[in-house]
Amino acid sequence: MPILDIAGLHKSYGSTEVLRGVDLQVNTGELVCVIGPSGSGKSTMLRCCNLLETPTRGRITANGHEVTSSAVNINHVRQDIGMVFQQFNLYPHLSALDNVSLALRKVQRKPRDEADQLAQAALEQVGLGAKAGNRPAELSGGQQQRVGIARAVALKPHIILFDEPTSALDPELVEDVLNVMRDLRQRGMTMLVVTHEMAFAHAAADRVVFMDGGVVVEQGTAAEVFETPREPRTRSFLARYGSARS
Amino acid sequence: MQSFVQNFFNLEIYAAVLPYLLQGLWTTVWLSAIVIPLGAAAGLALALGLTQSAGRLVRGAIVVWVDFFRAFPPLVLLILIYFGGPFLGVELNKVSAVVLAFVLNNSSYFAEVFRAGLEGVDKGQMEASRSTGLTRAQALRHVVVPQAVRNVLPDLVGNGIEIVKLTSIASVVAIPELLRSARDAQSLVFNPSPVMLAALIYLALLWPLTRWLGRLEHRRARA
Amino acid sequence: MSGDSGFLFTFFNLAVAKQYWPAIGMGMLVTVGVGLAVVATGTALGLALAVLRSFGLRLLALPIVVFADVMRSLPPLVVMIVLYFGLPALGLPMSAFAVTWVALSLVLAAYAEESIWAGILAVPPGQLEAARSTGMGWWQGMRCVVLPQALRRAVPPLTNRIIATTKNTALGSVVALNEILNNAQGATSHAGNPTPLVMASVAYLIVFMPLVFASRGVERRWGRA
Repeated sequence: MPILDIAGLHKSYGSTEVLRGVDLQVNTGELVCVIGPSGSGKSTMLRCCNLLETPTRGRITANGHEVTSSAVNINHVRQDIGMVFQQFNLYPHLSALDNVSLALRKVQRKPRDEADQLAQAALEQVGLGAKAGNRPAELSGGQQQRVGIARAVALKPHIILFDEPTSALDPELVEDVLNVMRDLRQRGMTMLVVTHEMAFAHAAADRVVFMDGGVVVEQGTAAEVFETPREPRTRSFLARYGSARS
Repeated sequence: MQSFVQNFFNLEIYAAVLPYLLQGLWTTVWLSAIVIPLGAAAGLALALGLTQSAGRLVRGAIVVWVDFFRAFPPLVLLILIYFGGPFLGVELNKVSAVVLAFVLNNSSYFAEVFRAGLEGVDKGQMEASRSTGLTRAQALRHVVVPQAVRNVLPDLVGNGIEIVKLTSIASVVAIPELLRSARDAQSLVFNPSPVMLAALIYLALLWPLTRWLGRLEHRRARA
Repeated sequence: MSGDSGFLFTFFNLAVAKQYWPAIGMGMLVTVGVGLAVVATGTALGLALAVLRSFGLRLLALPIVVFADVMRSLPPLVVMIVLYFGLPALGLPMSAFAVTWVALSLVLAAYAEESIWAGILAVPPGQLEAARSTGMGWWQGMRCVVLPQALRRAVPPLTNRIIATTKNTALGSVVALNEILNNAQGATSHAGNPTPLVMASVAYLIVFMPLVFASRGVERRWGRA
């Protein structure tokens, strides 16, 4: 059974329809990359998965919970779905350690010591164990995003959603974050990543999904989509972006 | 309910006292019209002294002066000047006492606002204008101060609104502004309606200004 | 102007001072007491209103906005007078202390609500989203992530407004509250000498100068978010 199952997802803002029927599945341990032009609805689809956006129609099931049902306990479900944001969204008034441990303490009710230990471990995992006491303002963009990843990882979710995690980073800082993501993949984390990093998607993804105009146009293995795209829209998008980046 | 309306919104009494209150409103308006420019000018002078003067003594004195009048309740200042003056042999008429007290009090708030505005203007502005040969005073007058004023316009307007509200304090020394007129009327009709009507008039006057102020602040926050 | 001894005799009369300093001292207690009460209830009410407003319900937000606008448009003295004369007419007589306290609390609450609300608006929505994405409830997210940041931004305007409001406790003298000014005025007319007024001025400075200095320190520490 797939960890994440999106069926017939529609989303409209007033009279503007952003998602026009998206079907997508993510299996355990997969790294799925979603690519596509701006405005294709990629981020909106991602944000529907943990109900940061409310779908207009459709069904989303994650970890066996029906996210779109009216009876769902969304706070409970969100502990099992991690999210990493394009703008990091770290809490500026807390240290890196507290950023990571906050949910452990407040949501999972873990005692301070245990939460801090788990948080420290998560920071070590992303290579920032030494920066636990620093505030976000004292960290580079890449370091902040890695703290964001640690914050998501610390709750031990079954799947992590990445919303353009490197788009707000200076180019030289992107690779550090991608390395952390590759490492997560090695450890068996299921990941759904919306990204513009084509080289990363090509090399690391198990499956690639191309979205345009609010629908999934094409999906397949990385090799299939990048090297032998079937759809003309896919081809023209890849031609513009290039399937490999230097 | 009936007695509530009788006591607070008695239309007959409203009609009877309205002319009297409107005279009081006029006093409120011209009193504000005198105090605001004087306070602003004094505040600007203090702020300029604070930011432009190199002497630590001068700046220290200004800081003490400003903090002193920020800490001193305006009503107490008014009473002190009004009742204490005669003992000094200085016969200040009521209006002068009020104006003096209000300007002393309010210029310190204006000073803080202008100081923030002046400090918010980039140093490069002064450098650029001096480099074209303008004197210090000219650079201040034509380049720096106009920008400072534009930056803190909402705070200046806010302070102006505060002064209009401040005039109600003058009622204590029987200046016939709006609140005084209302209280005089009230003692004649034995009914709190006049005071309620005065409150409504204050609202009619100041609420639109407060809303406008909110828009100014909103515009500045977005810029 | 009168000679030096005349000036001192008039305004710094030690005999008068000795007789009336207890009254001024009692007045200081009342001033400080009312001031503390007003700050406590005013900021608490303002915070509560700002939080209620952040629920996002128009039915709730509208009366709060109206309250804040009205209380910021009316001179505090007018609010006080309306309550002072109006409440007995409604069958709710209130002591001078209570009238002063309620009136100034309502005014401070309005300003506090606006400052804190502005602070809440200034916190990027991504902050609450991030908190909620880790499974925190709305109130948890507000309490742990949004409000701490919002309050930090609200500190400079709030401290200024607190100073202004507590100075307005002097207005309580108009409704016969036995605070510093009232007692001083009584003493002045009783003694026929304005020394008590000078004592009152000193008393106010003793109470409020430290407050002004403290606020500069608070602004410097918290102002840089």
